[in-house]
Amino acid sequence: MMTGVFRVVLLLASIGTMLFMLKRIRHAKIQIEDSLFWILFSALLLILSVFPGIADFMAGVVGIYSTVNFIFLFFIFILLIREFSLTIKVSQLENKLKELTQAIAIMNAEKDNKDDEKEKEENE
Amino acid sequence: MKDLLIIIPAYNEEKSIMRVVNHVINDYPQYDYIVVNDGSSDKTARICRKCGYNLIDLPVNLGLAGAFQAGLKYAYRNGYEYAIQYDADGQHKVEYIGRMLDEMKKGYDIVIGSRFVTEKKPKSLRMLGSRILSASIKLTTGKRVNDPTSGMRLLNRNMLKEFALNLNYGPEPDTISYLLKSGIKLSEVQVEMDERLEGESYLNMARSMKYMFHMVVSIIVIQNFRKRDSKYVKTERTE
Repeated sequence: MMTGVFRVVLLLASIGTMLFMLKRIRHAKIQIEDSLFWILFSALLLILSVFPGIADFMAGVVGIYSTVNFIFLFFIFILLIREFSLTIKVSQLENKLKELTQAIAIMNAEKDNKDDEKEKEENE
Repeated sequence: MKDLLIIIPAYNEEKSIMRVVNHVINDYPQYDYIVVNDGSSDKTARICRKCGYNLIDLPVNLGLAGAFQAGLKYAYRNGYEYAIQYDADGQHKVEYIGRMLDEMKKGYDIVIGSRFVTEKKPKSLRMLGSRILSASIKLTTGKRVNDPTSGMRLLNRNMLKEFALNLNYGPEPDTISYLLKSGIKLSEVQVEMDERLEGESYLNMARSMKYMFHMVVSIIVIQNFRKRDSKYVKTERTE
């Protein structure tokens, strides 16, 4: 069972998260696909705080005595997966950034070379 | 310079790119075009260079939204009045652009080359997705878009500027829904599209499900909270 206080905390946290995310989207500070996870995340929190029976039931199914422990474990797991996918994304981003930097630098070098050749031709 | 730019995003289209671009160049010289190579790993970029096509060659893969936006930025910077998205796999047909342009000149901001204005939507799984998206848009905007997933979209100068300079303006149904809600004028023109001749469609089952989920949540929930930046909204309409 969840205590009343904990339910209220969950409720406030979920509403707060949702409002914060929606505000960011409103001012175009975040890409929609990136906000999707957090919208769903806060919706899930909201559902669990409004219907604690779901968490009680799930705790029973996986054999955890305390519902609160189930909630901790569950969200830690979700966040772990999220963390992992973020690591992948950051890694890809770094790689793209590296390739971009190299492409620009190479382009500039080639342009410089061409300019130098032109200058030489003009001098001769 | 012509006033319409055909933007052809291309990702690994070495088999079809020549056929598609040559058709545009030879048969429709009244339009300008630009190929946006989206960091292809095949010979797409090399073919474009060899043939002397107008090319934006992205050094990394950005995805369709990023590639199309690069084309729009080019259109914006070079002063084009209209820009249209055109698939490099040969599904779209250039002959309909004229009709879409005529429609746009009646005072629309976006004209969609639609498969289902006069034609009926077939009852396939893929079209179920299209129906769900149409219904979602109808639900939030009250307006009917028969072919929300059509990639053939013609934008006027205001729209292409807005698409070019902003975040979250992907060429997808959720952007259409958002813009409709904020009061732009949209029309659809009946077009035919070919099946893909070569290459594989990007959307497999898992991707399609993810795409649908993303779009529906975006259209029904997220888009309702977006604020449209007023600096891009034209207050007076010239008609």
